[in-house]
Amino acid sequence: MKGKTSRRNFLSTGLMLPVVSAGSSLGILNLSAQTPASPAGSPLKLSYKTLGKTGLKVTSVGMGCMITSDPSVVTRAADLGITYFDTARGYQRGNNERMVGAALGSKRKQVVLSTKTEARDKAGMAKELDTSLSELKTDFVDVWYLHGKSSPSEIHDDMIEALQLAKQQGKARFVGISTHSGQAELIPWMVQKGVFDVVLSGFNFTMESTGVEQAIDAASKAGMGVVAMKVMAGGARSQKPGQTLQSALKWVTNHPSVATAIPSMTDMSQLDENVQAMGSTLTAEDHRVLAAHLEMIQSEYCRMCGKCDGTCAQGLPVADVLRYVTYADGYGQFALGRERYLQMASQHVTARCGDCAECTVQCPHGVQVRMRMKQAQELFA
Amino acid sequence: MRIAYPALALLLLTAGMMHAQDYLSCQLASGWTQSEAIHPYTADNLYDYKDGGAEGYLIYGFAGMKSLNCKSGENTLTIDLSEMNDADAAYGLFASNRDPRAPIAKIGMGGQVQALSSTFAKGKYYVEIVLNPADPNSDHTTELTALVNKMAQRMVGRETPPEALAWFVTEDQSTMGVVPQSVLGLKELKHGYVAKYKQGQAFLVLEDTPESAAAVLKVLRQKYDGAADAKVGDDAFQAKAPYLDGICIFRKGRTLGGYANLPTAQEAATQAVKLAARIP
Repeated sequence: MKGKTSRRNFLSTGLMLPVVSAGSSLGILNLSAQTPASPAGSPLKLSYKTLGKTGLKVTSVGMGCMITSDPSVVTRAADLGITYFDTARGYQRGNNERMVGAALGSKRKQVVLSTKTEARDKAGMAKELDTSLSELKTDFVDVWYLHGKSSPSEIHDDMIEALQLAKQQGKARFVGISTHSGQAELIPWMVQKGVFDVVLSGFNFTMESTGVEQAIDAASKAGMGVVAMKVMAGGARSQKPGQTLQSALKWVTNHPSVATAIPSMTDMSQLDENVQAMGSTLTAEDHRVLAAHLEMIQSEYCRMCGKCDGTCAQGLPVADVLRYVTYADGYGQFALGRERYLQMASQHVTARCGDCAECTVQCPHGVQVRMRMKQAQELFA
Repeated sequence: MRIAYPALALLLLTAGMMHAQDYLSCQLASGWTQSEAIHPYTADNLYDYKDGGAEGYLIYGFAGMKSLNCKSGENTLTIDLSEMNDADAAYGLFASNRDPRAPIAKIGMGGQVQALSSTFAKGKYYVEIVLNPADPNSDHTTELTALVNKMAQRMVGRETPPEALAWFVTEDQSTMGVVPQSVLGLKELKHGYVAKYKQGQAFLVLEDTPESAAAVLKVLRQKYDGAADAKVGDDAFQAKAPYLDGICIFRKGRTLGGYANLPTAQEAATQAVKLAARIP
């Protein structure tokens, strides 16, 4: 986001963001005319963006199908005009792909369909892709991802060969990687490698000005299509969703580097809310909601950005210790937190933050590191 | 009987003290040894392990997971033992992951064993086992069957599926399971059970009270234009609904049930009568 106006400033001032990237466009759909069970009479604005150099036109809100159990929600999403649907071979051990394939039916070729593989070798990947195509009832997928990678070291040459072969065979139009962590290292590597068309990354409003955002901006600039998932911060999962979720979704869909976001949806109401968020600008109210939420979580919510690595004068693995204390006070898993804490090297277990006159660790996101570390030491040591 | 009481008490005490990791042992499978320390996961860090698949566990009510890696020669084996909030959640996760084209074996509440993998649920635990053999074409069904049976014997907990599943009509049924959120894709039906048939699907939702069930039914009735009363259970309506085709939804006591995705509302009502009759 260098060179752009900081959204954090907007969060604090409540000003509105300039909206959507070049190449985006809007379409109008009268929801009520096509779908009798929808909210009364509200015409929907569908907004479209281009998925990088793939040239695929996608709605700025797509659909993550992982936890959708009833196919009617997928069918209706397609009818409403959503054009990006995401599943994976591993979701419900293949049952999710089967459901999505059946739900899309004849609409399959009107949408962009992505799936993923967890296989770790060329033969295994090829076998999984054939199974995916069979379950999805299609001859090809639009995007085929390596599922859940967090480091270039997890990606071997034969996996890239399998991706390229799938493209040559017409079984996958484009290929990419899905990632939840390690983006700051992985995504630049993908850009440099030059063989990936799309990245599907965890990305949300808490990641502004982090290495993740910089990596995503660089990927977009290089022509890679960017799909965002986990649009709510993990730490916000247990909070009341409602407006926060809608504001968080708008934050992502308004991000110039993101082509589409794929929130999970389990019912028609969520679908309607998410579709209605499409094409909306971030309002002053959205900024206030997100700022309040960020304020609520920032003193404790570690974004795992890695910027504190190596900065502790006593050599403590800060991010790990923050995670352990979160086990105890965030999730009620004291035993697990203590177990993991005591598994650290002995000098780390016995170290005390009180021994330092001042803390050398400065969290760029406002986590009160010294306080949280001391809490961990009092709880576990 | 007096002699038996201490033994029984010890057994109960032992059972009560059993933890997830106590059920994990590579030595339950002949010739296997543990290759790494057991890895624990919580809802917070399940993404570290089931990267991209974690939500599938969380939505069912996930409490924690212990993962054990074993080896035998060049073969490796991973046992993931998930502790769920209750037995219904464990069965629900099992049912959502089961291969509908393969039979369910009597392992705990239910299980499946295939050439290189197995899943089963017992009590509040859901177990997934994946074997990575040196020869990918090898068949380890017998070995895995022995392993899961030994493991299930060690585990304490319910051995029968959720009671409500037995209420579904079995004729022409293809699958059934637990829906953790939004049955039929309707937020009003928060959590329940679904059985799929050659044609259509049936559902059951257990509300806390008859009054709360009546309130939900009222909201649903208002949702569909042209909803007509139906003679099923204590109260019911039938309608032609977008995406759900012919539906009939009824209330019997605190239970909501019905059929959807049938060609006509009348056919849904006819099937709903059979379902209502099976609810105690």
